[in-house]
Amino acid sequence: MSQLLPVLVLSGFVVVFGAAIIVVASLLGTKAAKSKTKLETYECGLESDMSGSTKVPIKFYLTAILFILFDIEIIFMYPWALSFNDFIRQGYGLYIMGAMGVFLLIFILGLLWEVKSKALEWE
Amino acid sequence: MGSDIFEIGVNFIKMVLIFVMMVQLVPLLVWVERRGSAYIQNRFGPNRVGPLGLTQLLADAVKFLTKEDFMPERGYRFLFLAAPVVALIPAALAFGAIPLSHPIFVEPFEWLGQTWGPYQFDFQSYKIGIGIVFVLAVSSLAAYSLMLAGYASNNKYSLYGALRASAQTISYELAMGLSIVGILLLFNTFDFSEMIRLQSGPLSFHVLGTVYTFDFLPNWGIFYQPLGAILLLAAMFAETNRLPFDLPEAEAELVAGYHTEYGGIKMNMFYIGEYGHMLVASGLMVTFYFGGYTLYPFLTPGTVSSWFAGSTPTMTSVWTSLILHVVFLTKVLLFLWLFIWVRWSLPRFRYDQLMDLGWKTMLPWALGNTIVTAIVIFIMRTSW
Amino acid sequence: MIYEAISFYALALFLTFFAYKTISATNPIHSALYLVLTMLGLGAVFFSLGAHFIAGVQVIVYAGAVMVLFVMVLMLFDLKSELQAFSKGMLSGFLKVFSAAALAGVAIGVISHSVQVVDGASWGVGDPNADVTKYLSILLYTNYLFAFEVLGVLLLVVAIGAVALSRMKGGTHADRR
Repeated sequence: MSQLLPVLVLSGFVVVFGAAIIVVASLLGTKAAKSKTKLETYECGLESDMSGSTKVPIKFYLTAILFILFDIEIIFMYPWALSFNDFIRQGYGLYIMGAMGVFLLIFILGLLWEVKSKALEWE
Repeated sequence: MGSDIFEIGVNFIKMVLIFVMMVQLVPLLVWVERRGSAYIQNRFGPNRVGPLGLTQLLADAVKFLTKEDFMPERGYRFLFLAAPVVALIPAALAFGAIPLSHPIFVEPFEWLGQTWGPYQFDFQSYKIGIGIVFVLAVSSLAAYSLMLAGYASNNKYSLYGALRASAQTISYELAMGLSIVGILLLFNTFDFSEMIRLQSGPLSFHVLGTVYTFDFLPNWGIFYQPLGAILLLAAMFAETNRLPFDLPEAEAELVAGYHTEYGGIKMNMFYIGEYGHMLVASGLMVTFYFGGYTLYPFLTPGTVSSWFAGSTPTMTSVWTSLILHVVFLTKVLLFLWLFIWVRWSLPRFRYDQLMDLGWKTMLPWALGNTIVTAIVIFIMRTSW
Repeated sequence: MIYEAISFYALALFLTFFAYKTISATNPIHSALYLVLTMLGLGAVFFSLGAHFIAGVQVIVYAGAVMVLFVMVLMLFDLKSELQAFSKGMLSGFLKVFSAAALAGVAIGVISHSVQVVDGASWGVGDPNADVTKYLSILLYTNYLFAFEVLGVLLLVVAIGAVALSRMKGGTHADRR
């Protein structure tokens, strides 16, 4: 808890700071006449032909899913790296190498398969 | 945050000061960037307002604040205003966890008829045991401000920019996370201060039970993990969305990316976020690979405090921390200059090249780096 | 000790509020964003309980990866029809209340069970000097090694499944022949 409180305090401070800046800017800002064209979506002067939220091909979707999977696998290497030295010092170096070796092998298999299956191709 | 009112007060002021330091570094960096790019391109840059154009920063700040407060009619008001605020949070929180200098030790003292102390003030907003995991966790939230901005603007270019930006950020997060594993294997800790302590001695390789020491070189991570350092630096460039990875705001294709509809101070807050990320990236590079606030043969906590042998322990500690803070700042500024230098030297990637680099080049190399590091450490540290 | 209790109940209050807003928000994007806040709050609860590494993983994986995917996908779709479907009708209202009640029942059951099963004191929980993260990692690669390796296989299967689905007819990576 003693470690969490400062983080929460800083987050609160940053939010208040950011909100204050926006409020101050809106008070100080020039009050110019608002016209219809000015409030339109900016697309380099062309008339906007569709709304912002529209259907686009979702190649990003697969990238994001694969990211989650690899992210979890990488997270599991952190505790391994943390305790690696302790295992070696206890004489279990070969054991911990093997334990991670199997996991890494599966990881590499996954990565190779992604590359082979052209799931990561962007034209 | 502390046990009594003095400690809480100092810790809070320290926190605010570190945040303000991050925020005020932005106009300074913008100035360096403009003058630096002008120098690189053989131009003058802003040189009219004040000496060397330095008061240009002040003029810019005033200009940003007095711009018309504007939002597009079709945007979503609350999210539109929230996105720039959210942009500040990840960088500010991550920067707070990086130790900027040696802790200050305050001896017990008399004040207002009461005895205070002893205290230990860490030279960072807060000290977190799982430092690296905390920084990674906080900076993984950076994608939200981009997506909020893109969605709330309700503009298709903003949306495409936001999508590209978030896909790019998450792709390079993998390479970033994996390239750190090597340094973790080496130091076996998540704690930044502990890492810096391990790097503050002379370079010493442990080879099969024998220790080879090089007295003239510091024990920096870069000597053990050169490939990891390069990979982390490249991934950091992509995370901060800067050239050569600034696809989210490729103006030829996307107008200006996710912040097309933003102007004035709100636009500036995205810049604060971006430069804040640069600052965090530089801080991490320095902490992981370049000894943090120490510089072994000359400036370590031990040598610097011996200069002040005559004064009180409290003053010695304060001066030591301040001098070591200058060391840290110098290293960080060198990295920030590298960020600016690269921006004006390299062209932008194409989007498929960017994704290929992240997934098919950097990820395998980082994996190879991890495996080789593990095998070497295993062979060197085992007592056969 | 009293501060721990206060902070825990304050966090719990926020968590419950965000979780409630997640299911009551009519706009799916707002719903997802509230879920992000819920995940962050959950991370904070883990952190305040001393499980720092788990807190970090919670934020990295859920708030930083899974929810990024959700928000990204929701942004991509035109949500006009879903907006109406979610905000109107007795059926959707009933479904919301019912599913929330069912989940709450499960949660209460689990908690009342775990009070008897889990004995925190004997694990050294709450000892501020214990290096929980290191202890966790040693446990993970000794006692739970098999589960750990199986998890690797599971993730591989999920990756293959995701790619295979996307390459099927009508998928995002289908062959255009």
